Amino acid sequence: MIGLRSTWTGRICLAVASTVILLFLVMPIVVIVVTSFGNDALGSFPPHSWTLNWYHQLFAPGSKWPGALSLSVLVAAITTVFSLVLGVTAATALVRSDLPLRSAVYGLVLAPLVIPQVVIALGLFLLFDPAAMLGSPIAIALGHTVLASPIAVLILMATLRGIDERLEDAAASMGAGRLTIFRRITFPLAAPGMVAAAVFSFITSFDEFFISQFLSSVDTTTLPVQVFNVLQYDVDPTVTAISAVLIAVAVLALALVGVVRRLGSGRENGLLPVDSAAALPGNEVP
Amino acid sequence: MAGSVLAPVPTSAAPTAKGRLRRSLRSRRTRSGLLNGAPIVVYLLVLFVYPILSTLLLSVKGARGGLTLHWYADALSGANLGVLLTTLRISAETSLISVVIGFLLAYAMSRLRPLWAGLMMLIVVVPHFISALVRTYGWIILLGDHGVVNGLLVDLHVPGAPFQLLYNEIGVIIGTTSVMLPYTVLLLYAVMRGVDRRLLAAAASMGAGRLVTFRRVYLPLVAPGLVNAAVLSFILCLGYYLTPALMGGTKQTVVAALIDDQVMKQNQWNGAAALGVILLLLTFAGLSLLRLARAIGANARQRGAA
Repeated sequence: MIGLRSTWTGRICLAVASTVILLFLVMPIVVIVVTSFGNDALGSFPPHSWTLNWYHQLFAPGSKWPGALSLSVLVAAITTVFSLVLGVTAATALVRSDLPLRSAVYGLVLAPLVIPQVVIALGLFLLFDPAAMLGSPIAIALGHTVLASPIAVLILMATLRGIDERLEDAAASMGAGRLTIFRRITFPLAAPGMVAAAVFSFITSFDEFFISQFLSSVDTTTLPVQVFNVLQYDVDPTVTAISAVLIAVAVLALALVGVVRRLGSGRENGLLPVDSAAALPGNEVP
Repeated sequence: MAGSVLAPVPTSAAPTAKGRLRRSLRSRRTRSGLLNGAPIVVYLLVLFVYPILSTLLLSVKGARGGLTLHWYADALSGANLGVLLTTLRISAETSLISVVIGFLLAYAMSRLRPLWAGLMMLIVVVPHFISALVRTYGWIILLGDHGVVNGLLVDLHVPGAPFQLLYNEIGVIIGTTSVMLPYTVLLLYAVMRGVDRRLLAAAASMGAGRLVTFRRVYLPLVAPGLVNAAVLSFILCLGYYLTPALMGGTKQTVVAALIDDQVMKQNQWNGAAALGVILLLLTFAGLSLLRLARAIGANARQRGAA
C-alpha cells in the first residue's frame, strides 16, 4: 500500500518500466533466433522470407563450425567430470564434516567467481605456455574447472544441506554399511542437485571465452572463441545460426535441470531452480 | 557458521591448544573433512593461486632479472592510463545504470504475486545462462544503423533518428548493462523480499508521506543490497571485455582488451601481468569496500537496537 505502487499512475508506470526492462533482456536473444531463419541473416528484422539455409551451411564441407563445436563439447564434458568430483568432495567437506580453517577454504572456493576472469586466464596462460600445452583440450578443461567447480560446490552444498542427516543415521542404526547408505539414501536424494551441478558446469565451460581465448592455438579454437573471431574480423552469416544453436543448448540445459528437480524430491517451486541463483556470485562474497 | 564449527567442543579438563588439535584430528568428522576438502584446495592452489602469484612475480621482473616497478610505470602512464580510466568510467556507468534499472524491476517483482514474480524471475535468469557473446551479437543486430531500434525510432519520427548506437560508448553501456542486470536484480530482489512491509505501514500511520516513507524507511532497509549490487557489478565489469571489444570504438578500449592484445599480439607479457595485477588490486579494493559497508551497516543496526 505504501511506495511506488500505491497509486494507479504509479502502478502503470512500474508495469510499463518492468515490461521495457524485460524486453531489454529478451530482445537480443529473440532477434538472433528469428534472424537465423531469415533469408538475409545479417540484417533486416523481421526477415522478408524464411530459410534453413544457414543451418545447412553450418555443416557444409570446409565449414569451421563442426570442429569448434566438437572441441567445445569435449572440453565441457571433461570439465563437467572434474568439476563434479571436486564439487562432491568439497561440498561434503564444507557441509558434512568439521573442516579446520573452514572459512578460509570456503573463501578460496568462492574466489574464482569474483576475481576478473582475464586475470585467471593470463595466469593459466603463463602456467601452460612453458609446458607447451596451449591448444590442448585438457589444458582448457583444467582452466574451465577453476570457474566451474565453485558453482558446482555452491549447488551441491545447498543440496547436502537439504538432506536430513537423520535419514542416514537411521539407516546406519539398522545396520546399513557406509557404501549402502551412500548408494541407497544419499545418492538418490542428492541426484537432482548433482544433475544441476553437472549441467551448470557444462554450460559454464561451453560458454567460457577468456580462458579458451588465452589457451587456444590457431587450429584449436572453442566455439565462443570462433564466434568472437568471426564477429570481430569476418562477415559470415552462418554465425547467426551457430548463435541460435548456442541459445538452444543453454535453454535445453536449463529445462533439463527444471525437469529433474520436478521429478526428483518433488520439491516446491520446481520451475525455477533455487540453485540457479546460487550459481551467481555475490550472494556470498568471501 | 564458521565460528560454530571451528569453536572447540568444551571439555571439563582445560585442554591445551595442542591437545585440542590432536583430539579434533582424531575425530572421524575432521578426518573426513580433511580428506574431502583436500582435492579442491590442492586444485585451486595449483591452477588458481599459483598462476596469479606467478603473474604478480612477472609484473615486477626486470628485463635483465632483478625487481622493477617499470611495468607499473608503463601501465599507469600515457595511453595505458587512458585505457584504465576508460575501464573505470565504463564500469561505473554500467554499474549505476544496472542498479537503477535492477531496482525498478526487483521492486516490481517483490510486489507481485509469487506466480508472476516467478515468471519474471525466469525471464531474468534464463538470459543469464545464455552466452554473453551471443547476447552481444544480438545487440549488434538490434542497434545497427538499419537495425530494429533505429527502424522504430525513424518510424516514430524521433528527431535526429537514426542514431549512431554502435561502436561508441552508448552501445557498450547498453550491451554491458544487459549482461550485468541479472546480477543486480537477483541481489536486490533477495533484499526487498526481506523488507517488513509493516514498518512502512507504521511510518504511514504516523503521518509520513509516501516520499518520506520511501526515503527514510524503505531506502535504508534495502541500502545494503544496493551497495552490494553496485560494487559487485562494478567489479565484474572491470575484467569484462567481450562487449566493449565488439560494440565499442577505439575510444572504448578496456584494460582486459589491452591485456589480451599485449599477450596475443605483442608478446609483452610483463606489461600484461602488471595490468592484470592492477585489475586484481581494484577488485580487492571493491571487496574491502563491501566489507567495510557491511561492518558499518551492522554497527548501525546494533546502535539502532540498543
